[in-house]
Amino acid sequence: MRLEVGHIFIKDIQFGTESKIEDGVLYVSEEAVKEVVLEDEHIKSVKFDIARPGESVRITPVKDVIEPRVKVEGRGGVFPGVISKVDTVGEGKTYALKGMAVVTAGKIVGFQEGIIDMTGPGADYTPFSKLNNFVVVCEPVDGIKQHEYEAAVRFAGFRVAVYLGELARELTPDETKVYETYGIKEGMEKLPGLPRVAYVQMLQSQGLLHDTYVYGVDAKKTLSTIINPTEVMDGAIVSGNCVSACDKNPTYVHENNPVVHDLFEEHGKTINFVCQILTNENVYLADKQRSSDWTAKLCRLLDLDAVIVSQEGFGNPDTDLIMNCKKIEAEGVKTVIITDEYAGRDGKSQSLADADVAADAVVTGGNANQVVVLPKLDKVIGTLDYVNTIAGGNEHSLREDGTIEVEIQAITGATNETGFGYLSAR
Amino acid sequence: MYSASAEVSRPFLIGGAMKKDYRIITNNPLVREKLGQDHDVEFYDCSYEDVLKKVKEEVCKGYKLLTHPLSGSVKPNETPYKSVMVSRKSGETDLMGIEIIERAIASVSKFQFKSDKYAPQVYEDFRLIDYTLISSALPSADAW
Repeated sequence: MRLEVGHIFIKDIQFGTESKIEDGVLYVSEEAVKEVVLEDEHIKSVKFDIARPGESVRITPVKDVIEPRVKVEGRGGVFPGVISKVDTVGEGKTYALKGMAVVTAGKIVGFQEGIIDMTGPGADYTPFSKLNNFVVVCEPVDGIKQHEYEAAVRFAGFRVAVYLGELARELTPDETKVYETYGIKEGMEKLPGLPRVAYVQMLQSQGLLHDTYVYGVDAKKTLSTIINPTEVMDGAIVSGNCVSACDKNPTYVHENNPVVHDLFEEHGKTINFVCQILTNENVYLADKQRSSDWTAKLCRLLDLDAVIVSQEGFGNPDTDLIMNCKKIEAEGVKTVIITDEYAGRDGKSQSLADADVAADAVVTGGNANQVVVLPKLDKVIGTLDYVNTIAGGNEHSLREDGTIEVEIQAITGATNETGFGYLSAR
Repeated sequence: MYSASAEVSRPFLIGGAMKKDYRIITNNPLVREKLGQDHDVEFYDCSYEDVLKKVKEEVCKGYKLLTHPLSGSVKPNETPYKSVMVSRKSGETDLMGIEIIERAIASVSKFQFKSDKYAPQVYEDFRLIDYTLISSALPSADAW
């Protein structure tokens, strides 16, 4: 499967009378995009804002971050099974608006996390501070249930992203990247002697605010399966997650998964990047056993030499991670696992809720309990009402002088377990 | 080790017409309210940690741990509510279950206690999230 991804660089976003992209500037007609959001009867009103890198702006609580894309050649459309029809995607040509994102924000439950600071020390912990963000804050109709509200905001974000992505359809990309994977036999013939490597991606799948969708299917109802990484670049995986800001994967991370990109960098040179394997993180222990057995079975069936396994979230997914690692290693396939740590504020506690000797190659996204003080910023998009109740915050979090003391787990993407972050020992 | 104390109420047991092969141990009133009719729900008026200790006691008696005692993202001590599923029949010692519940109890201390600091609406939201997490296990548990 071969996908060309054309990058259209967006250096600024401005409101305008007409939505268009001109000379790298995205102009958005508030009226037109409002219509797109208010298609859903669950949404009473919507506000838009623009947050640029370096501005004294704090966005919170963030629900999802999405990169606008448009499919210009090949089957299907972006976000298949969610916005577009369920046609298989991942081949042909797709354009992506680089340097910007759609950010959905606003309260769904009273303990929601997710801070993106566009400047100051907080900005150093979130890659999304480097983007021009088009922020969508939806107000639900009265009496709506949290499930309905979460779904309404989730879909509104995708609709806005698709609307903005469409503006690029007739443009010429600033640069183009090509990604290609082969069939099993074809790959072995084309790349003889290279180690066969796959990426095992674990998806959070546990209920309200903890769900992920693959081609529109709730991942908790799926068996471990194989997907082409280029399908994911076309939005085959979307996030319904909005707790655990630091180590959940916003849709943007699925579209731009650094594990996938790094494996493609080495594809045909030092490795044969065979495929991506998706597996879930359910609450029920027998589901964990079934899914990890299945993942190990697929690794064996594909005659892999090695896999990289990434986790999503913290807590019971630690058990899925270790089960996957242990069982895949037992099939004779080498594993590297990527996780993050909850090692206490002093960093001295046991990092994970599970462990095994087979997990002897571990990459960490950082200690989510690490404390940071965020300065007062001039403008807040969303609300600070929940800063005291978000994970890693407490009753003293929002201080009188406007500064906020929180653990970095409150910052969107701070310890991301695909490596989509800045924390490093380098 | 957990032991029944005056703060722990007697189990609030409502047996449905059709008995399931599992019990839900919880301190979440919403789980009792929503699932109590059709499921064996044992409600305890106790802390998150004490729910885990109660579960450990059951697993040590030979009941099987059926759901993971930690949530996927909502942290212990952040939420005051926890619901865990264990088997109705006891059998061979569930060694993996004991290991999992012990690790879960050990992880509680890593998080700052702030379960008593929220506005009333936030408690409702925590009850709802715990309810959806345990509910997500029901289709799998009912499939046996």
